Amino acid sequence: MNQYKTTIGIEVHAELKTKSKMFSDSANNYGKMANTCTNVIDLGYPGTLPTINEKAIELALRAALVLHCKINKVMHFDRKNYFYPDNPKNYQITQNRTPIGIDGYVEITINNVPKKIRIHDIHIEEDTCKSIHSNNKSLLDFNRAGVPLVEIVTEADMNSAEEAMAYLEKLRELLLYADVSDCKIEEGSMRCDCNVSVSKTETYGTKIEVKNIGSISNVGVAIDYEKARQISLLEKGQVLKEETRRFDDKTNSTILMRVKETGNDYRYFPEPDIPFIELTDEYIEEVAKNIPMTAEKRREIYLNNGISEVNVKKIIQNRTISDYLNKFINQNLNLVIASNLLLGDITAYINKYEIPLEKTALTDEKFIDIVTCLDTGKINSKIFKEILEDVMEQDLPVEKILENHGVREMSEEELSEIINKVLENNEQSVSDYKKGNERAIKYLMGQIMKETKGNANPNTIVEKLESKLKE
Amino acid sequence: MSKYLNLELKEINKLLKERKIKPLDLVEEAFDNIEKNKDLNAFITLNKDQAIKMAKDLENKEVDNLFFAIPIAIKDNICTKDLRTTCASKMLENFIPVYDATVIEKIKQHNMIIIGKTNMDEFAMGSTSRTSYFGPPKNPWDENKIAGGSSGGSASCISARLVPLALGTDTGGSIRQPASYCGLVGMKPTYGRISRYGLIAFGSSLDQIGPMTRNVYENAALLNILCGKDEKDLTSTRREKEDFTSLIGEDIKGMNIAIPKYFVTDIVEKEILEKFNNTVNLLKENGCNVEYIDIDYIENAVTLYQIIAMGEASSNLARFDGIRYGYSYENPKNLEELYSKTRQIGFGDEVKRRIMVGSLILSGENAKTYYDKALRIRDDIRKSFLKAFEKYDLIIGPTTTTVAYNLTDNLDDPSKTFLDDILVIPVNMAGLPGLNIPIGFNKDKLPIGLHIIGNEFDEKTIYKLASYIEKTLNLNLNPKGGE
Repeated sequence: MNQYKTTIGIEVHAELKTKSKMFSDSANNYGKMANTCTNVIDLGYPGTLPTINEKAIELALRAALVLHCKINKVMHFDRKNYFYPDNPKNYQITQNRTPIGIDGYVEITINNVPKKIRIHDIHIEEDTCKSIHSNNKSLLDFNRAGVPLVEIVTEADMNSAEEAMAYLEKLRELLLYADVSDCKIEEGSMRCDCNVSVSKTETYGTKIEVKNIGSISNVGVAIDYEKARQISLLEKGQVLKEETRRFDDKTNSTILMRVKETGNDYRYFPEPDIPFIELTDEYIEEVAKNIPMTAEKRREIYLNNGISEVNVKKIIQNRTISDYLNKFINQNLNLVIASNLLLGDITAYINKYEIPLEKTALTDEKFIDIVTCLDTGKINSKIFKEILEDVMEQDLPVEKILENHGVREMSEEELSEIINKVLENNEQSVSDYKKGNERAIKYLMGQIMKETKGNANPNTIVEKLESKLKE
Repeated sequence: MSKYLNLELKEINKLLKERKIKPLDLVEEAFDNIEKNKDLNAFITLNKDQAIKMAKDLENKEVDNLFFAIPIAIKDNICTKDLRTTCASKMLENFIPVYDATVIEKIKQHNMIIIGKTNMDEFAMGSTSRTSYFGPPKNPWDENKIAGGSSGGSASCISARLVPLALGTDTGGSIRQPASYCGLVGMKPTYGRISRYGLIAFGSSLDQIGPMTRNVYENAALLNILCGKDEKDLTSTRREKEDFTSLIGEDIKGMNIAIPKYFVTDIVEKEILEKFNNTVNLLKENGCNVEYIDIDYIENAVTLYQIIAMGEASSNLARFDGIRYGYSYENPKNLEELYSKTRQIGFGDEVKRRIMVGSLILSGENAKTYYDKALRIRDDIRKSFLKAFEKYDLIIGPTTTTVAYNLTDNLDDPSKTFLDDILVIPVNMAGLPGLNIPIGFNKDKLPIGLHIIGNEFDEKTIYKLASYIEKTLNLNLNPKGGE
């Protein structure tokens, strides 16, 4: 008997990171008091007209470019007409005929096997307002009405929950690193709807849409649930109907919202209030140039600089750290040490005091000094831990902080004096060494380090010690 | 009561500057006129208290421009802050806008005094103003006749000399056709010339605000103030500043003028054709070169208009759902009933008819079959017009096929009234400027108008010819005969 094959297509809505809304100048802000970020345009008042948020166009173009889409250089907006209380004009301004990007792809890798998930299109549209239902009443918050969105629609190219999750992770990383969206699923700035069908033949099965999935891992749960549910119904000989279901995270199941009516008619037509927009080659080039470095590129650079795979993964997961580290890429700095510091003690400090990196007293100069001190052996990690809090809190140069901690580089004479003293007090070890016992030098080193209290460079000590022993 | 408002604006301006009259004199006279001509039903809402207050405030201010303290009437589909704006609909019977349309801001900046909001067809849908929820305005030349539409109230109040200035809007002839029926000067400027921000949309790709006045000069001068790029309206156009009055009074000798053959066929009443031909002869005698031409698809313009305007209207009027503003059906059983009852009771028959036809036109495959095709043919009409303007300075024709008819005529067939606009609609299709100038009367003393169409953004040349005709014919356009 043939196996069932699962087919998945995904629609993602991502809110664009702009200061104002798509078609009006009211603020694009999350978490503000209801209906404080809105104006007559967002409310769809009679006589109002849309304007265009150029930043939103730029961010959508960035997204289209990182998704390897072909760009519709002459594009317009369309009206999607439907009645719903969260849709203030009872039409949504979107792009139906000329989406900003078409025919792109996202490459995912599962078990080292790469796969291209094709992007059907990416288009710009306005968000609806938020309905809150309570006590048999519906309340509307227009803060979200008109927030710029991109909708990214894949082809039905995924065949497992694993692939769907890998696609979403990758998409999220792309949008996040291009500064297109902050992609916070929990705040609704990234929302995914999955279309799932199963079939034993080459013909696709009946498409079931699952909405309202609150995390990427739940996308996996929802798909596996749907797959099992659909197969079990088909096995019972039932015929599936196209429907929309929502994911319920309490029961990890999907619940029927509505059966899709045939010929859902949105009466699309070109938005007459917004003239056609031309994206010139120069503009597209300019936008492409300003896209921040992709995660992919960052990974490559970090690995080439000898940072371990585990650490590279950790850095990529933390955009702040990655951006911070990137400042020093071409500065001849030891990036392994730099990344260890950032992921280790510095992250620990930031987490402990709940203070963002840029709010600390750590300057680029100080960071470079510290990494260099560690790299050359001027200080060791123990000393670094000692001075960490002062480095993060005091507006002093590293040298001064070290001095305050009694850490300073010894003069040649001081060091020679200490070495001589140690050699005098440890004649046995000296003669052991001279007899060929290499290990004896380690003991001597330890004694000297102890005397210098870490204020001397170990390399210098070894150098001096060896030459003294050969005298 | 004094009769300053019958004077030309330049004369009123002089009297104001010399402090011989006060702004309040003008405002009181306007309200007195309105009161005495209540039967015309030209206004839906009067702005009396605010207008008087403003007149008093202006008393000690410098008279800084021609329009200072001049009473103006505003069509009731243009939003005026704190002043009821109904669109002549039950749906907006109690709607008080919280903001001013861009044109209203400009009017206020020039210290004009808004007297009230004028009657019109409901949501500007009609050609007779009879679809108004507040009853039709009447034609001052014969109160049994329509004032035309949809800017019927604005036309009626200018014609009857209640106020000297009014704003109208023109989606498919709604300024020029009532201007013709009522015997006044009405200009629909080039699409994009005036900001539409604050104009309650009917057919967004066609709607345009324009001035309605007693004479050509004042019309051009008012357009000077209304026009300009507006950041709030992406379809408004940035142009170099120009003075639309600058060619007024210049000789018309050598002008090349075209008449589309379609405009002078037997669809036009005989008496109108006669008056039109007299005007053509006058132009020829005065050195104009007049030729007859063909414009592609011009005979299809009304059909295209119905498809495009109704399609857009069905979407534009979707926002009136009883949730945020306007009429709302009380205690609905559910959302479905809120929507259906609000719109069923809030809208009049013509509006509902057009929303339904428009929705059908945009449905499924129809959008391609009708709407897209209409847009393409509309573009061909535009190209054909623009081609004609490579050779000719202006295109002329009669404004209407008939004179104003009885308020009780043509009520049986809603499609008939579209024919009132058959000669003016092609101009909306092409996005061009067009103006009505009176050229005489029929045997019943009802006004007949000439339609002058210009190249895009060439309103100046229209005013040049219009002023020449105005001066040469020197008609008495006051229905009460003046003094």
